[in-house]
Amino acid sequence: MKNPPSLDQLIAALKVLPGVGPKSAQRMAFHLLQRDKAGADKLARALDRALLNLRHCERCHTFSETPLCNVCADDKRRQEVLCVVEMPADLLMLEQTRCYDGLYFVLMGRLSPMDGVGPKDIDLERLIARACDGVVAEVIVATNFTAEGEVTAHLIAEMLKAQGLKVTRIARGMPVGGELEYVDPGTLAQAMYERRTLS
Amino acid sequence: MQQSRVDRQPAYVLHTQPYRETSLLVEVLTRDYGRFTLVARGARRPRSDLRGLLLPFQPLQLAWFGKGELRTLHTADWRGGVPQFAGARLVTGFYLNELVLRLAARDDPSPALFKLYDRAVRSLVDHALTATVLRRFELALLEELGYAPALTQDHLAQAIAPQARYLCRFGAAPELTDGEQAPRGAANVSGATLVALAAADFEQPQTRREARLLLRLLLDELLGPEPLASRELLTTLYALSD
Ligand SMILES: [Zn+2]
Repeated sequence: MKNPPSLDQLIAALKVLPGVGPKSAQRMAFHLLQRDKAGADKLARALDRALLNLRHCERCHTFSETPLCNVCADDKRRQEVLCVVEMPADLLMLEQTRCYDGLYFVLMGRLSPMDGVGPKDIDLERLIARACDGVVAEVIVATNFTAEGEVTAHLIAEMLKAQGLKVTRIARGMPVGGELEYVDPGTLAQAMYERRTLS
Repeated sequence: MQQSRVDRQPAYVLHTQPYRETSLLVEVLTRDYGRFTLVARGARRPRSDLRGLLLPFQPLQLAWFGKGELRTLHTADWRGGVPQFAGARLVTGFYLNELVLRLAARDDPSPALFKLYDRAVRSLVDHALTATVLRRFELALLEELGYAPALTQDHLAQAIAPQARYLCRFGAAPELTDGEQAPRGAANVSGATLVALAAADFEQPQTRREARLLLRLLLDELLGPEPLASRELLTTLYALSD
């Protein structure tokens, strides 16, 4: 027996989510239609609304409902520092830390040579245009400390240094409150390689 | 299946990809089992110890269960000695990984290839000249894959003359030429370069320059039309430093 076409279409649609294969997509579809019709309705509306209202902030490229997101629109924030992150979740995390009052640029991705994602696949021209507005004096690269995040940081640094900008990288090392005994060897080894002089 | 467990195997991570909610698919190059994919369960959990371990360009020791398509990582141990790659060295590392991933067959054990790769990674750490590390690796990789170029005799079975020039093509012996040009699908190199390559001697800048053209020609034949992302990245970076 075959599924009705609309059910098949829903299952196929759910498969666009990362990590969702045919089996989990089918399970999700049955759950939404059988167990939680109200939830399914809410999901459909939310998706509709998000697609209709969300765009990218003109300055930092994160998701926003207005041409400028609330961070970029806030003129009390320092305009001369720009922090580059991979994804909107990274921006939110940095905001939670309350350690930074400058502006952001969200790459919406990273270089990943092993997946065939090269310089042309992320919008670096846009970052350069943003960083070269004449106001930004320092660009802080806060991409992840994965091989992909590091190679992205390298390319960004080379591009921005060629424009005469000061480029910095967030530091890496022992976790705050970390005890040597309990930290993983990779982190500890790198903290040793990147040790600094005490003044 | 007790017998399908492998312990203490020297290995490098070539690439990782998210798998399901919290796991990773890890492409590894091992000493005695070649290149294959392992599932690392829970490796993407925020506090997973595997996060700081399953990193490319890090000498590791792995243990896993299972056979065929469903091999599951049991433990990963740190062997150390290699700082995290960054900057130009990282791009070079990606190039090595892309070559291995694209050219080394799955499940084809080659301790020699592992040794080559291990040596290349460690040479990059020791600040050896990148061009030398890469050319040495590319040449040895071709030899290991069974595509070693002919370097000692020309197509007429005459010994290579250092002062002469030769046209080299994939799968063919060098051919004497009197020009500096190279037709499509051939590299024009000096006899001196071929002699140096036969001895794996990359001392001379001219050897490195000509070897780069020759090895690229031969590798491209094996790689096919799809470009290497790390090579494009190197080109972009190179243009910036000009
Ligand atoms: Zn914004």
